[in-house]
Amino acid sequence: MFFHIVLERNMQLHPRHFGRNLRENLVSKLMKDVEGTCSGRHGFVVAITGIENVGKGLIRDGTGFVTFPVKYQCVVFRPFKGEILEAVVTMVNKMGFFAEAGPVQIFVSNHLIPDDMEFQSGDIPNYTTSDGSVKIQKDTEVRLKIIGTRVDATEIFCIGTIKDDFLGVINDPAAV
Amino acid sequence: MSLVTDSPVHSSSSGDDFAAYLDAELETGSSDSLGDEEVEANNELEEDVEDDDDHESNRTKRLKVEKVQHVLDPQGSTSQVLMEKNIEVSVEQDICTHPGSYKNLCMICGKELDVESGVSVGYIQQGLRLGNDEIVRIRNTDMKNLLRHKKLYLVLDLDHTLLNSTHLMDLTLEEEYLKGQTDSFQDIPKGSLFRLDFMHMMTKLRPFVRTFLKEASEMFDMYIYTMGDRPYALEMAKLLDPRGEYFHARVISRDDGTQKHQKGLDVVLGEESAVLILDDTENAWAKHRDNLILMERYHFFASSCRQFGYNCKSLSQLKSDESETEGALSSVLRALRQIHHMFFDELDGNLDNRDVRQVLKTVRKEVLKGCKIVFSHVFPTRIQADSHPLWIMAEQLGATCLREVDPSVTHVVSMDAGTEKSRWAAKEKKFLVHPRWIEATNYLWQKQPEENFPVAGGATDPQ
Repeated sequence: MFFHIVLERNMQLHPRHFGRNLRENLVSKLMKDVEGTCSGRHGFVVAITGIENVGKGLIRDGTGFVTFPVKYQCVVFRPFKGEILEAVVTMVNKMGFFAEAGPVQIFVSNHLIPDDMEFQSGDIPNYTTSDGSVKIQKDTEVRLKIIGTRVDATEIFCIGTIKDDFLGVINDPAAV
Repeated sequence: MSLVTDSPVHSSSSGDDFAAYLDAELETGSSDSLGDEEVEANNELEEDVEDDDDHESNRTKRLKVEKVQHVLDPQGSTSQVLMEKNIEVSVEQDICTHPGSYKNLCMICGKELDVESGVSVGYIQQGLRLGNDEIVRIRNTDMKNLLRHKKLYLVLDLDHTLLNSTHLMDLTLEEEYLKGQTDSFQDIPKGSLFRLDFMHMMTKLRPFVRTFLKEASEMFDMYIYTMGDRPYALEMAKLLDPRGEYFHARVISRDDGTQKHQKGLDVVLGEESAVLILDDTENAWAKHRDNLILMERYHFFASSCRQFGYNCKSLSQLKSDESETEGALSSVLRALRQIHHMFFDELDGNLDNRDVRQVLKTVRKEVLKGCKIVFSHVFPTRIQADSHPLWIMAEQLGATCLREVDPSVTHVVSMDAGTEKSRWAAKEKKFLVHPRWIEATNYLWQKQPEENFPVAGGATDPQ
């Protein structure tokens, strides 16, 4: 799920960046530091949308660096148990397949792939129905449901299923 | 959903705390499950969770009873035992058996697991672990699939079997010329000598390896299993299989094994009865000798020869190489074809009951069939002759080994032409060959021309 939230971060800035561009420097550094990172609590920071407020700077003893508390608005992405996601398959093997929804990696075990789909090894490993009408292989887009998540300090892992109504392949590049 | 209260952890905590904890958990849990019921009606997985809820609440009730007893009973220890029993029972009732996990999440119910269990198959994807039952299940289904495609498993070693690598700084002066002959990474499928500057290594692929992999891939699902580390293994896989058609995620390095200095088939997702192994080191496969086809070591670089204690010139120093058509790989490919053919086309009975290890034995026994061998001046006297590796090797190749000469003997294997048996062989016009004849026959899967393995006259070792 995506959220638009306000987060705060203490930014350290070297004095050479001071001057009339201080604020711009601060923002660009913030973007570089924060966008694309993942915190267990909030999920992945997708993009910074605005700066709420930059607090008073505090000079660090001995170094000359100045710390600014910055409040910023950002879009975060955090998967939840029960959530339906669309993801791209990255790897298929006999245990199941791995898919990515943006930065999140999701594992779908073959227990959670419909029983009528069977694993086919070969040059391009895939799961296929007996009549061959539906095929999951690398780069296939699937709709899946998250049934479990594990949140580390810096990473999020998910287990998904496609064994349910309206889940499964939504666009198969091989069929186009 | 906060119902992940797997008991083993809590069983050690004191009864009161535990009950209170469960109460709290139950409250949040039941409200959660209500929400779930509203959102998703008939979903198997959610049902599992709800079942869990039920027995969770049962457990709590039971525990509450126990708690009352705890107050009444002056001997708290007995009730503690009772309680632990109850917990054990409820654990057994747990519906999901957690057959495997990804990053510590059960791959079926998605719960976070407290303990790491099962065998790590990190070579497929980091953080993936499989329990024994699951491995058995995957092996079974995969086996059926494979047999339908008329394929078996082949586990390949890298160093000295498919290729030879050396550190750049170990190159001798005589080998400096190689640096000018390396092949470009633009066209990997055509090259055989590569310089990997970022790893400070130079790698030479064994002649015939490209054809070998191509042909073997039609008969086998292939794995790489090396004692090298993971980055090295992946780099080598890229050289051998630039298009990624043979190995996919089946590259196992020493980081993935379960035992130190040993290779094991436990991480290979294939039935042992359908696996063949190509390796140059017999000791690495202590548990799977019956699956092993021993390879003659490929020493291209001088450093590799030194490492194994040979003082001869290496192939690179002699500016030569193994023969493309007569070398070890092409011989082994021939044997593999024969084994494959026998496994699928010649054996009677159910496909599922066939064992490639038996087939391997049978094919090997054909090589020296009909030969009767007497050894002379080969074994030290203190060693039992029939426990010597050469004796065993000869018998595995189908030869009959005798202790004394008699008219039916066909070959005398000797280190010294001057011994009584050697002279007898010369007189009786029997073949007199060096022990290397047996080794070469073993590596090349074909009776070698005897005249290429003469025995030197004196009492000295010709080597």
